[in-house]
Amino acid sequence: MEHEIYRFPRERLAVLVERLAREFRVVGPVRKAADCAWEEVRPETPLALDYPTTLLPPRQFFAPQRETLFRFRKTADGFAFETPAAERPVALVGVHGCDLTGLRVLRSFHESSCRDRVVTDRLDQSFIFGVACWVPCMAEAFCRDMGSLENEIPADLYAWDFGEVLLVKVLRPRGRAVLSDVGALQAATADELVTLRRRLRARHEAFPAHLKFAPAKLPVALEAAHADLLWEANAERCLSCGRCNLVCPTCTCFDVQDVASIDGTEGARVRTWHGCQVPGFSKVAGGHDFRPSRTEKLRYRVFRKGKYMPERYGMVGCTGCGRCFKHCPTHISIRDIFRQVGGAG
Amino acid sequence: MVQSSMVPEPCRVLEAIRQTPKEVLLVVAAPQQAPFQPEPGQFVMVSLPGIGEAPLSLAALPGEGTPEGTFELLVRKAGRLTNLVTRLVAGELLYVRGPYGRRVAWDQFEGSNLMLIAGGLGLAPLRPFVRRALLRRERFRHIDVLIGARNPDELLFRADLASWKARRDDARVLLTVDAASDGWGGRIGVITTLFDQVHPETEDAVAVMCGPPVMYRHAIRRLLAMGFYENRVWLTLERRMKCGVGLCGNCQMNGLYLCQQGPLFSYREVRHLSEAV
Repeated sequence: MEHEIYRFPRERLAVLVERLAREFRVVGPVRKAADCAWEEVRPETPLALDYPTTLLPPRQFFAPQRETLFRFRKTADGFAFETPAAERPVALVGVHGCDLTGLRVLRSFHESSCRDRVVTDRLDQSFIFGVACWVPCMAEAFCRDMGSLENEIPADLYAWDFGEVLLVKVLRPRGRAVLSDVGALQAATADELVTLRRRLRARHEAFPAHLKFAPAKLPVALEAAHADLLWEANAERCLSCGRCNLVCPTCTCFDVQDVASIDGTEGARVRTWHGCQVPGFSKVAGGHDFRPSRTEKLRYRVFRKGKYMPERYGMVGCTGCGRCFKHCPTHISIRDIFRQVGGAG
Repeated sequence: MVQSSMVPEPCRVLEAIRQTPKEVLLVVAAPQQAPFQPEPGQFVMVSLPGIGEAPLSLAALPGEGTPEGTFELLVRKAGRLTNLVTRLVAGELLYVRGPYGRRVAWDQFEGSNLMLIAGGLGLAPLRPFVRRALLRRERFRHIDVLIGARNPDELLFRADLASWKARRDDARVLLTVDAASDGWGGRIGVITTLFDQVHPETEDAVAVMCGPPVMYRHAIRRLLAMGFYENRVWLTLERRMKCGVGLCGNCQMNGLYLCQQGPLFSYREVRHLSEAV
């Protein structure tokens, strides 16, 4: 094997969290009532690595839902500005393939259009511990179709969970350094590697294929389907709630607002997540809306993921995580739309 | 760690000139932190801390009819921010970042007849084109400036109009209003009614338009019928923007970001986009 694969005893996960906490704010999937959420973890926190996909994707740690751009304070002449202090970089433990792909897309977007490096800096400084999935986490997932199931980038370490033991692949040198620090540099045995290969073959069967075409064909297929009735048929059910935007690992749009004290002498300019499905997003001066209907809005969202993003940034903007589909109150399915579009192409 | 390009620079208002009851022209000292060398068609993000931020077209570029180190903005009262900005007086501060938007190489507009078309508030972004064309008059054949307003009271930049009209050998300036009021002796009708009066040779001619979408729909049709090439008809588009640097997504139109690939486009670049005009 071209990569180093080490055996990692499960009980060392606590040591790993402890080691990472020296440098990072360590975040992992934590079980909530019906879901899982990314939360700060401590060595004693039980880490469920086979968790169902979290409600919000990990992009919240790189482009937060609410972020202060700068604070302002009135002075004798105008306002003085102060930018927030550097924060602790984040370590994500237990990232599944869909969300690893989401972070790759986030990087491709910010590398191409960003003049500053705020999000890419956070990505660069973060530590990512990826974990393979053995079975689909939910019925809506179609990660295999979108190429996310097998994606290991941008993980520093990538693990296959075998219960008492995890096999951990080193993808970046600092991943090895961390393994060394926690005393887990014992190479996997030949038997374990054979088992891994066998289980990976079996895993492929566990994830049904939903699409009959490769995601790389999406831009052409979508273009051909631009005038199809499917947009209207799906958008009829849309409540314009914007939940699909919030839960998407590759949505990047934001709004900017000033929040000021009652006398206006101090405050902050803040950016918050925004979404193309929300009424008003495409309104311009004079009340004109250049993307007025739910049909156009839905088509825009799907085109952005399947056509505009790959054409502009080189990566399809859908990871197949299934969140938008699962959390949509009327269950509009981007997977079914892709399937229909593929049929048209 | 922060988007440093989202932090504005305080810029001193040097003069505030009321244009109409709704509109004020601000003469502003240019930002100092980086070279401020905008091209016609570019814009700045303007804000007041605690109130908000919005994109505004540049109505005059430094050293082009306005002193070096200054620029101008035309502000119409529309919301909370523009209401307060139109109340600024000389000496007060406005917060600015930019210039943003595509820099279209100026020589693309030169070499033949130039037709400059403005509807309503569109005269503000068009003004730097008129001014630069008149500064470099020898590089054009005929210059026609067509200006439409809803009514005579809404005509902007009257001092400019008078000075442009005075250069009758250099440019033909035609005005029209949709509806006249007492004392208006000029033309009445939508802007396309002026198109019959421009210099007819359209070989390599260039048109630049700033106005509302409805004007574009009619004007483009007429210009193409007159023989203009689709890549020589330019128009500026307007969208809500929250960053100006290709991040916030508010201005995305099909696959394009208006703030980066626009807001000035040739018709050929946007004619196939369902969300453009």
